[in-house]
Amino acid sequence: MQRRTVLVNTALALGVAVAALAALSLGTIPLHPVGVLRAFTTGEASQQMALILFELRLPRVMAGALTGAAFALAGCLMQTLARNRLATPGIIGIDNAATAFAVASITGVGIGLAPPAMALVGAATAAALAFALAGRTGTRGYPFIMAGVGIGAIAGAITQLMLTRVAIDAANAAYPWTVGSLNSREAMATHLLAGGLALCWLAALGIGRHLNVLRLSETVATGLGTHPGRLRLAGLGIAILLTGLAVAVAGPVGFVALLGPEMARSVSHPARVPLTASALAGAILMLLADLAGRMILAPLEVPVGIVTAIAGSPWLLWILLRQTPGRAL
Amino acid sequence: MTDANSANPTLATRNLRMAHDHHTVIEDLSLTLSPGRVTAIVGPNGCGKSTLLHGLARVHHPAGGSVLLDGGDIHRQPSREVARRLALLPQDKDAPQGLTVRDLVGFGRHPHQDWFRPPSPEDRAAVDSALGAARLEELAERPLDTLSGGQRQRAWIAMSMAQHTPLLLLDEPTTALDLGHQIEVFELIRQLAATGRTIAMVIHDLPSACRYADHLIAMKEGAIISAGTPGEVVTRALVRDLYGVECDLLEDPATGSPLLINMRRSTDP
Repeated sequence: MQRRTVLVNTALALGVAVAALAALSLGTIPLHPVGVLRAFTTGEASQQMALILFELRLPRVMAGALTGAAFALAGCLMQTLARNRLATPGIIGIDNAATAFAVASITGVGIGLAPPAMALVGAATAAALAFALAGRTGTRGYPFIMAGVGIGAIAGAITQLMLTRVAIDAANAAYPWTVGSLNSREAMATHLLAGGLALCWLAALGIGRHLNVLRLSETVATGLGTHPGRLRLAGLGIAILLTGLAVAVAGPVGFVALLGPEMARSVSHPARVPLTASALAGAILMLLADLAGRMILAPLEVPVGIVTAIAGSPWLLWILLRQTPGRAL
Repeated sequence: MTDANSANPTLATRNLRMAHDHHTVIEDLSLTLSPGRVTAIVGPNGCGKSTLLHGLARVHHPAGGSVLLDGGDIHRQPSREVARRLALLPQDKDAPQGLTVRDLVGFGRHPHQDWFRPPSPEDRAAVDSALGAARLEELAERPLDTLSGGQRQRAWIAMSMAQHTPLLLLDEPTTALDLGHQIEVFELIRQLAATGRTIAMVIHDLPSACRYADHLIAMKEGAIISAGTPGEVVTRALVRDLYGVECDLLEDPATGSPLLINMRRSTDP
């Protein structure tokens, strides 16, 4: 069991490295992967290459890997807590609310907070509202999910409304926030995400042992000496923080939170909630999606959120059609 | 408070009141589980027997009164400590796809383990002995979703056994099982009782309760109306009162427990 976890995580980490190398090498000006590796190990690179590699591509690759990991880890936590694979931050409206708040700050409706900070506030607000409306998360989280879906819809509508009411250049500035893109990230937000992700990952590992038994049912988990209520609060808190931090960098990139954990679960031991594996799988998905977005219509760039939506929807349908309804995660 | 590690931990309620959404289900109920015995809680649908079991297992908080484990309020003791003395097998349970019998039984060791500590030899021994007692050695590496209902239920009971608790609570352990599987599960429960465990189970089927329990608690409308050995508790009047059923009673020549025969619906309400 332990050995399989190590094996899976090592393989996925290698996958992240390969995807990152591909993302660093490919582009309008292709670089040779061996040259890229040499530049990293020895620092040996032409001035032009150093500019492309360290100034342009590396920050974007870092942002992609970190946001992918954060979205997928948040997704894995929420799916496990709600015992429902559809209960990802994107579907229950946390992304949408974070976006609405960020757009509000750009279009001048909001308070004088920077869009990334507003995204965090939005994520927390949506989760708090969903909690308040649902009253509780319920055994399988249905009331919470339903409240979240409603809040997400309202937040989406408000975003659209704000965009139709402002001048075109403000709407343009807000556009990346509505589709999800790695093009307009802020360095500060990426640094925050890196720190937050590290802490959240450790915290998630800290409750991982209890999440494993929570999958059997809340009652079983209580009988085994855990506190499902406290666990839910901790897990949700971590997931909300991760989502807010990731949206602050990349906007609402859909499907990574859903498909990352799905991918991780399919290769992980069934007795373990695949927290680390989900984060790594999410990083791979995000890197590949962003790379595809840069390559497909080059030199035009397709925002990563659109790539994940186009590639993710058929995948989601396939999962839904293939699986017996009501099965445990 | 008595010694937590005493051979016979006691589980009792004092003036227990349980409620769902402000609707009182159980009122002023006091009982003490007989140590080392199998107690069956019986009664019609909605009489509060499952609620009582959930109260005893600290899954739900009482609305009044208290549940006492070894004389101390169960909700004031660390849940993990409680889980080392008291195991619960609820009806509401599910397993991730592909989980093997051994994985499941291993979860019974949860309250005995710590963060990142690999399973100790003691954990492994407990899992092996639980698998052996439930006659699941051959199936240990099989995913749960490939087993029959009876085998699966035995695997869940084995998980509770691996928890190594002197007290075990079971919520309708034989529901949805056919006769053969029911007997399989009941015999496993008797086998557990023979090791000195104190067991309480909610049972729908009164004849099975008579056959396999040492002690019956009959509930109606959130209160205990009769308690004692099956022979003392099960009378024609009680069966009529609980279920609206007329019957005749015989003594089982094999076990001496009451046998219900000629059951029919009461004509007068």
